Amino acid sequence: MIPGVAHRYLFEQMVRRELRQKYKGSALGVAWYLINPLVLMGAYYLLFGVIFELQRIPDFPLFLMVGLIVWIFFSQSLLSAAPSLLDHGALIRKARFPRETIPASVVTVQAITFVVLLALVGVVTIVLRGTLDVALLLLPVVLLALFAFVLGLSLAAAVLHAHFRDVAPILSAALLPWFFLSPIFFRPEDITGQALARAALEWGNPIAPYIEAVRAILYGGGAPGLDVLAYVLVGAALSLVVGRALFLRLQAELAVLV
Amino acid sequence: MTVAPGELVLEDASRAFSVRADRGRTLKELIIGRERAGGPAPVQALDGVSLHVRPGETVGMVGRNGAGKSSTLRVLAGIVPLDAGSVRTGGQVVTLLELGAGFGRDFTGRENVFLNGALHGLGRAQIEARLDDILAFSELGDFVDAPVATYSSGMYLRLAFAIAAHLDADILLIDEVLAVGDESFQRKCEERIARQIAAGATLVLVSHDAALVERSCARTVVLDGGRVAFDGPTAQAMPFYHRLMGTPDPQPVTP
Repeated sequence: MIPGVAHRYLFEQMVRRELRQKYKGSALGVAWYLINPLVLMGAYYLLFGVIFELQRIPDFPLFLMVGLIVWIFFSQSLLSAAPSLLDHGALIRKARFPRETIPASVVTVQAITFVVLLALVGVVTIVLRGTLDVALLLLPVVLLALFAFVLGLSLAAAVLHAHFRDVAPILSAALLPWFFLSPIFFRPEDITGQALARAALEWGNPIAPYIEAVRAILYGGGAPGLDVLAYVLVGAALSLVVGRALFLRLQAELAVLV
Repeated sequence: MTVAPGELVLEDASRAFSVRADRGRTLKELIIGRERAGGPAPVQALDGVSLHVRPGETVGMVGRNGAGKSSTLRVLAGIVPLDAGSVRTGGQVVTLLELGAGFGRDFTGRENVFLNGALHGLGRAQIEARLDDILAFSELGDFVDAPVATYSSGMYLRLAFAIAAHLDADILLIDEVLAVGDESFQRKCEERIARQIAAGATLVLVSHDAALVERSCARTVVLDGGRVAFDGPTAQAMPFYHRLMGTPDPQPVTP
C-alpha cells in the first residue's frame, strides 16, 4: 500500500519514473500537471461564474476552485490509475515486485499536483476571504483521509480494470454526471429544499463530504461538522481496507492478464 | 519446509494458460455469467514438473518453442502463480528475463540503475554502494548519463546485465538474453556468472544456444510439452535434446 519500509525506495523511484514519463520532451514539462487543471478551472469558471452567473454564492470563483481541485484530484486519480497496470504490462510480466506500487505511484503523482494547486488556491482564498482560522490545523488530517480514500478506490479500479477491460470506460462515463451531481459549483441547500434530496446530495455521494470538509476549512474559515469529519475518516479507512483487500485478492494473475 | 539460500524446489508444478488474443474479460460477460465459447483449449505450459536444484548448481533448460521453459522460469521468479503443485526458492532471486524490462526509457542509464535496484528490493544506500562497479562493468562510458531511449540493444543488454550481475543473487534466472551482446561482452558475462557460481550462487539458464548451455551448465533439463523429458548431466542431456529436435548431434570440432 503505502509500501512498507522495504519497498519505500521502489515506490519513490516509481513516482519519479511516472513524473518523468508523462510529459517527456514537452517544452513545459512538469508544468503541464498544473496547466491542465488550471485551464479546466478557467473553463468551469467561465461556465458557472460568468455564463450562468451563480452569484448567490459570495466569492464564487474561490468557492468553485476549492471544490474543483478536490474533484480533479479524485477523478484524475481514478482515470489514470485504472489503466495503469496495463500500461506497465512489460514490467509486470517480467519482474517481481509489489504490484500495488504502480497504482500507488500514479495516485501519488496526482496528489503532488493536487497539493501544489491547493496551496496556490488555498493561500489566495484565505487571504481574500480572511478565513485564517485554527481550523486550518484540521486540513492535513482531511487531506490524508482524502488521499487514503482515493488510493483505496484507485487500487480497486486498477486491479478490476486489469480483469475486466470495461472498468475504465465505465468510470470515465460515470465521472461526467457524477461531476454535475457533486457540490462543486453549487451548495446542496441552494438547489433543493427537500430534506431527502439534500441528504442524498450531501451524503449519498462519497466524494461530497471531502469537498465539503476542504471547503469548510479554506473557504468557510471554520471546522467542518463532526458528522462530515466522521464520514471523511470512516470513508477513508473503508476505502483503503476494501480497495487493498480487493487488490491483493485479484493480483495473483496479473502477469498473465496484462 | 524451508529451503536454503540458492536452493529451488518445484513439486509437481502445473500451470495452464488460456490462449486468447484479448486477455481480459468484460463485466458484461461476468454479469451475464457466460464466457465466450470456442477458441483454442488452454495450453498446459507446465504439466507436473518436479525439479530440485541445490545451491551452487548450474542448470540449463532447453526444449522446443512452447515446451514450457520460459513459463518455468517465470514460475520460479514468482511472477506467475501455479495452478497446482508448489514452488519454493531460497534467498535473493535475480531475474534477467527481458532486456531492460524495468527500464524507464526517459531515465538515464545511471537513474535506471537505481530504478532496477529498487525493483529488486534494494534501498538507495545498497545501490549507491554498487553503482561504480555496475557502471564500470556496463562499459557505457559517457552514455550512462544519456536516456536509455538512445541506447542500442547491445547497450541495453550491457546495462541490464551489469545491474543483474551486481545484485548479490543467490539464484540467477536468465532467459535467452545474452545473445545480443558482442562476443567479448558475452565472455565477460559468462566469467562474471562463473564467479558468482563459484561464490555459491545457483544459475538457471534458458537458451536455444546449445554451445552456451554446454559451456555454462553442468546439468540440463530438457522440457517437452510442459513435462521434464530428461534431467541429468549436460553431456548426456544434449544428445537427447538433439534427437528430440530431430537435428543431428553436432560433431565436436577439433581445434
